[in-house]
Amino acid sequence: MNCILNTGRSVSQGVSVEHKGSEEYRSVASACLLNTVDMLVLGIEDGARVRISSPAGQVVLTARSSDGVARGEIFMTIGPYANHIISSETHGTGMPDFKNQKVDVEATDEPVLSVGELMEEIGGMRYDH
Amino acid sequence: MNEILVKNACVIDPIRGINGDIMDIAIRDGRIVESVSDRAEIIDAHRCLTLPGGIDSHTHVCGTKVNFGRYMSPEDMRAGRTRRHGRMHVTSGYYVPTTFGNSYRYSAMGYTTLLEGAMAPLEARHTHEEFTATPHQDMLANTLFDGNWAVMDAVREKNIPKTAAIVGWTLNAVKGYAIKLTNPGGTEAWGWGEDLTSIHEKVPHFEVTPSEIITTMIRANELLRLPHSVHLHCNNLGKPGNYQTTLDTFDLVPDLNPDRQTLYATHVQFHAYGGGTWRNICSKAEDITRSINSKPQIVMDMGQIMFCRTMTMTADGPMEFNLHCLHHNKWSNHDVELETGSGIIPVTYSKKSAVNCIMWAIGLELALLTKNPWQCLLETDNPNGAPFVKYPEVIGLLMSKRYRDEECATLHADTERRTSLFALEREMDWHDIAVMTRAGQAKALGIVNQGKGHLGAGAEADIAIYPIRTDSVDPAREYRKVVEGFQKTRFTIKRGRVVSRDGEIIVDGANATFWTNALIPEDIRVDNDPEFIRRFQEFYTVRMSNYPVQDLYLPRGRRVDTEAFS
Amino acid sequence: MIINDVVCPFCGCLCDDLELEVEGDRILRVQNGCSLSEATFMNDTRLPAPIRRTASGWEEIPYADAIKETADILRDSDRPLLYGWSSTHGETQSVGVHIAERIGAVIDNTSTVCHGPSILAIQEVGHPGCTLGQVKNRADVIIYWGCNPIEAHPRHMSRYTTFATGFFVPDAQRERTIIVVDTRRNDSGGIADEFVQIEPGGDYAVLSALRAIVRGKESIIPKKVAGIAKEQLIRIAGICTNAKFGAIFFGLGLTMSRGKYKNVRNAIELTDELNRHTKFVISPMRGHGNVYGSNEVFTWMTGYPFAVDFARGIAFYNPGETTAVDILRRGECDAALIVASDPGAHFPRAAAEHLAKIPTVLIDPHVNATTALSRIQIPCTAAGIDAAGTAYRMDGVPIRLRKVIDRGYPDDAEILKKIYDRLNGELGP
Repeated sequence: MNCILNTGRSVSQGVSVEHKGSEEYRSVASACLLNTVDMLVLGIEDGARVRISSPAGQVVLTARSSDGVARGEIFMTIGPYANHIISSETHGTGMPDFKNQKVDVEATDEPVLSVGELMEEIGGMRYDH
Repeated sequence: MNEILVKNACVIDPIRGINGDIMDIAIRDGRIVESVSDRAEIIDAHRCLTLPGGIDSHTHVCGTKVNFGRYMSPEDMRAGRTRRHGRMHVTSGYYVPTTFGNSYRYSAMGYTTLLEGAMAPLEARHTHEEFTATPHQDMLANTLFDGNWAVMDAVREKNIPKTAAIVGWTLNAVKGYAIKLTNPGGTEAWGWGEDLTSIHEKVPHFEVTPSEIITTMIRANELLRLPHSVHLHCNNLGKPGNYQTTLDTFDLVPDLNPDRQTLYATHVQFHAYGGGTWRNICSKAEDITRSINSKPQIVMDMGQIMFCRTMTMTADGPMEFNLHCLHHNKWSNHDVELETGSGIIPVTYSKKSAVNCIMWAIGLELALLTKNPWQCLLETDNPNGAPFVKYPEVIGLLMSKRYRDEECATLHADTERRTSLFALEREMDWHDIAVMTRAGQAKALGIVNQGKGHLGAGAEADIAIYPIRTDSVDPAREYRKVVEGFQKTRFTIKRGRVVSRDGEIIVDGANATFWTNALIPEDIRVDNDPEFIRRFQEFYTVRMSNYPVQDLYLPRGRRVDTEAFS
Repeated sequence: MIINDVVCPFCGCLCDDLELEVEGDRILRVQNGCSLSEATFMNDTRLPAPIRRTASGWEEIPYADAIKETADILRDSDRPLLYGWSSTHGETQSVGVHIAERIGAVIDNTSTVCHGPSILAIQEVGHPGCTLGQVKNRADVIIYWGCNPIEAHPRHMSRYTTFATGFFVPDAQRERTIIVVDTRRNDSGGIADEFVQIEPGGDYAVLSALRAIVRGKESIIPKKVAGIAKEQLIRIAGICTNAKFGAIFFGLGLTMSRGKYKNVRNAIELTDELNRHTKFVISPMRGHGNVYGSNEVFTWMTGYPFAVDFARGIAFYNPGETTAVDILRRGECDAALIVASDPGAHFPRAAAEHLAKIPTVLIDPHVNATTALSRIQIPCTAAGIDAAGTAYRMDGVPIRLRKVIDRGYPDDAEILKKIYDRLNGELGP
């Protein structure tokens, strides 16, 4: 399903922002808010996993239904999960399309990666402490 | 021990009554002394013009609105850029340069002390941070009280000691030097998008008039025994016909202090307009100077404009909005809770504009028609009238009728009819210029006894040696040489160190910041007044304990204690 | 020990009325703060010591070695990028600019992916604003546009707007009209008197419609603009022009959506227009505690608020070219120093990916996503917790962050000064 990805801040993201290795942060940052009708169309329930793809990449997230999100839109908190699929094009402004990324949403059984795993996907190395 | 001997200097030191004598100046450890040992470094001035370091008694170089002027103007930043080389950091900007740009260029022109014209108390910490990054000049901050709620309440109660106590506490808290009133009362009205049009109109809600604020603050200033007088930006700035407001304001001023003026009226050019519209605006410099010439208790500065693009920035928010409605360029505004306002817009002063030509003429008329140069100081309200790098041209115009005539020939045709400038023959001499660019400022600011503005033994060794031979240059004819000479010193010496040579900065700076500390009797101190504290905590958005500027923001703070209430 | 009037360094509100109970190097309790503030002070887990990436994992190294290696990396780099700066104090930012100038680096701060577009708009049309106390004491109309204060600035409404008692607004809840404009109905929208739900990407059109109505041209407005009924637009324009004092606060909903800085420009021009009828101000909701400070410090030192490139010797500024995401996307920089921020988490994938390819050093108290992309991380104090310094509130009011405990870490300004001194020593005059 084609959607527009919108991102923003949230309290729970802010509370755990300095603990990116934590389970709390993972669950906040990897949640994908969808309109309930869109979830019906996709045939998934709250808590199911979805794969979001864009020309920049793809990432697996946990779907959450939200009435505040319009149809054809998905919402995520800012962070490494959202950024895994956002293009780095800035149209000459320095600012990527954090609120206006075209993506494809599909149901999946694959697992949600940790922040460390995401970073390893792009050449990093986890630091466990 | 660090010693320098400046030899063969042609010294003009108006405060000590020296006018062009060839003499030596001995310096030890930052101060001027009677003599030095034979190990002193020798600087040969070759009979060049040698003056106390320049002092600007009204300039906008540091703080919230100045920085916003930079922030909103990448086009200007691109205009004045220089690379890092030697001791000099990168600089950007022409009319609102970066702090290092301001400091280097002032230093190259021989300026060693600057008074920042407007600091909002709530944002004082910012001003002091930029002072530290303006390393080659000693700094002082005019502190804004024009829309201060506590002050207006005390004025309404006609309580001069309480007014003084509020001012004293605030200056101490924010490390300010003097009282600044910018469009008194008008900046509070601007909180509602309104302005005041007369000094007898009441401020909304506060029920006080500008005239009451000004007169009470003058009394409070003297009660605090502050070194400087009240520093006033009159109401109705920049409006045709405003000269009457200015004259009415001057008539309020008593003569209360034997050592200096009782009122410092700043950038009076902007307050000397006749007529009633932009179409019939004319000069009222003659009326203004007639008043000044009969009132030794008032000192003013010119507020000269020069033809160029520049940035206007002032606490006078409503004036900037009016100007914005004329210019339709970008407009910034920044009102400060319980204290004041501010506005910023870029402008271009053009010879094609009759209004601009008249403004240019008025500034010069004010200087030329004021009999006593100690009463009309040279500045451009940097950068409002022009960036300070234009001062040498202003000096040239004041010293040469020929230069003025050549300029006048290029102006809008209405200028001659609507000003008196073309008829003025006066040509100022070197001594007049020395008064109008340092000695007069030192006296007006009350810093002569801090060792500023003169070269007597014990003074701070702030010295400017210009590549000008007064015995061979005729300023009336060779005004180009005068302008060039004042643009770049041979040597600028700051507190006993050569900081600038031929325009090149050669050391890291280490400036000082002067601030006043009035000793106020315990029983009227506002920090002991529960009502003052309650209102502060309730209506400011910072806690009273987080308001004062800590001493560490002034790495070389120079506290000036005053025997207030004595 | 109880410490009063503590400043929270987390977001641009810089609330300065917190009460902390501390004991030795531990904070026991935070009062008056929001949940973000509590987490900032209470869950402050630090990287214990400098670490260096090895072929198979990470090793701890002494500070001196970490500092020397960082200086070496920067010295040997042809096109270094210095990025971050918004969660630390002004002195650190100032040393950062000096380093950038010294080595000809690009220096950028987090406003590049936050309110950078707002700055571009301000550079076109200016910024009619004020300090937050003006709003608190006077405003009877508040508009939150494309921002979500309840989530991102949880005390903004209680300290400065909706619920704050002001001098001329003694009964705030009754006397203030709150308008929330967003593409999504969020919690902030829930407490609005008027909620305006715009179709995604429709902000520019709605702002233009409001400007037209304020100028008396309502006849040209179609029945719906970006999903908003004309009646509602007319009603909102009326609320604005009849306000005694109106304030617009806007967020990333304007800066990051289609149109970016042009949206902000339009909002500022609406404010300008409204000033011809009444008093109106507009302000960006700045995110990081001291992001505005990084703009201020960069500006007085270089002339530009962000994205400053010293490669030519002079300060050069060209957003879109000298902005961090663009430099990384083009794979242009060959070393990076990240201070007090987390581009690993907050930059698009391709930009973050480049950080892992080049020697990247992170100076930050916490382990974050960028840690994994770095070659070295040097832990330091956290400004406002174990370091004092200046921060600028979202409205430009400078506030001194306090040091409330000592945890034995070096200040990031000290670390950077040592790096700067090394560079100066090695590079000569």
